[in-house]
Amino acid sequence: MNSPNTSYTARLFREFKASFVKDLRSYFRYPAWVVGEFISTPLWFFFFALGVTLFAPVASTANVRGLGTGITYFFFGFLFIVLFSTSVWGVGQSVRNEQESGTLEQFFLAPANRATLILGRWARIFLTDSIIIAYTTFLLYLLGGTAISVLDPTLFLLALGLYEISLIGFGLFMAGLTIRIKSYNSVGNMIFFGFMILTGALFPVTSLPTPVRYFSMLIPFTYLNDIMRHAALGTQMILPETLEYPVAVVAAVAMMIFGFVAFNRIEQDARVKGSIATS
Amino acid sequence: MKSTSGLRADVQALSAIFWKGLKHHLRYPGEFAIYLSLPFLFTFLILGMGNAVGGSNAASFFAARTGTTNIVIYEILGSAVWMVSWVVIEDVGTAIRDEQIKGTLEQNFLAPVRRFTLLVGLSLTDVVITSVIFLIVVGVAVAVVLPSSFLTIIPAFLMLLIGLIPLFGIGFLFAGFVVRFKEPYIFTQIVNLIFATLTGTYYPVAFLPYWVQLISDALPQTYVIADMRRIMLANQTLVNLYGSLFVLLSLALAYPIIGYAVFRRVERKAGVTGEFSKY
Repeated sequence: MNSPNTSYTARLFREFKASFVKDLRSYFRYPAWVVGEFISTPLWFFFFALGVTLFAPVASTANVRGLGTGITYFFFGFLFIVLFSTSVWGVGQSVRNEQESGTLEQFFLAPANRATLILGRWARIFLTDSIIIAYTTFLLYLLGGTAISVLDPTLFLLALGLYEISLIGFGLFMAGLTIRIKSYNSVGNMIFFGFMILTGALFPVTSLPTPVRYFSMLIPFTYLNDIMRHAALGTQMILPETLEYPVAVVAAVAMMIFGFVAFNRIEQDARVKGSIATS
Repeated sequence: MKSTSGLRADVQALSAIFWKGLKHHLRYPGEFAIYLSLPFLFTFLILGMGNAVGGSNAASFFAARTGTTNIVIYEILGSAVWMVSWVVIEDVGTAIRDEQIKGTLEQNFLAPVRRFTLLVGLSLTDVVITSVIFLIVVGVAVAVVLPSSFLTIIPAFLMLLIGLIPLFGIGFLFAGFVVRFKEPYIFTQIVNLIFATLTGTYYPVAFLPYWVQLISDALPQTYVIADMRRIMLANQTLVNLYGSLFVLLSLALAYPIIGYAVFRRVERKAGVTGEFSKY
């Protein structure tokens, strides 16, 4: 139990831990879903990767146009998709799940920070996503002999950290959206697939038509995808290095702040209008 | 007064189930829009990734492996058939479980309608829905990319209609598994992905390991996709394709019989064990 002397940070950590454990328990309560996730995620990867290899130079496993081989290039696209889905389908849908289970009121009435509770869900998804990515990497090595390596691990991890910061911000925004928009699945699908194209997750943004590219440059994930791919495969960056790093940091932090503010505003608005529990 | 036995009763029941299913689809236009947009989206993704990997020679690398430079039609045919299969598996396979969750399964099973009629009624709705999806998706793509071959859409569509029969049989089989094991959505996702991977949706089946090709050969979509590509991209006629047509017709006979037999067996067992009322 919290005492008045309990420090704010310690309380937040306890809330976060409780939320993480709760989400982990809920996750393992449905073993069919766990097994399904472990089967379907690599299948998505292999299915698309095989399609992409049709376009790679014949009888070549060498670095293709500085993009790595078809498989390795696509592997990082797959990684971005798995990570990004955390925002839309994991963090974003957490509020909707509580709403559908009829536990949203308890969730909102608890003397805990809402954002910390949502972060607990993010942490659980980050853990399971990491296991799935590691397992797919291992499968890729076993089945095709392709070993995934990263040229600059430090830069890659830094970019991954910024990516996660952005994901939390965007996930909070999406969580707020689920309070506003009830047909979340359709909106979520559109945003998910739209971002996959616009942020250069699967192919370079330079392949997009010029007007569309301007939209891409407004999204933080575009820079983070680009830096991670650059760190892993040595691909050319879309901006000069000295400019892209600070832009990425600012964009990631801005996304985080935007997510928190948007979520709190939408929640307050929903409390006033009484629309929190309407499903 | 409506009759409750004989052919007329069957037709009345079929008509009622058909309209009910159609109304259900019309009530969720967003879902239909997604079924229409996903084939284009996936094709666009594959094209984008392929161009990123293959560069200016992507089309020639693709042609060296597939025998055609018309990438859009090649991929859109695979996408469209995959979406058709997705709808059938999701609708027919999970329909019984949906009724179970809504609490209307008992009313359906107590109605003086044969189970076979019930399943065929569900399938009839899907014949219309999937035909519309296929004709819009492939029609638009062919009209834009290959207008001179627009009429080849007719034999391609006939191929699809034949392929739908075994697919419904697989749907019946799946419906039985869902009654037995519950968890329809994760089953649906895995089965749809396995079908996409094994049936040559975005690449020739010959790309797969030999033992996997044996499984592919048992799936109707493999023949439908390959034959459609031959019809639209290699000017083949249905007469030329008599060999695979014969195999497809054999599957059209085998799958519904096996699927219905399994469904009946599971259903009888579920009636004895009380499985129907379990969630």
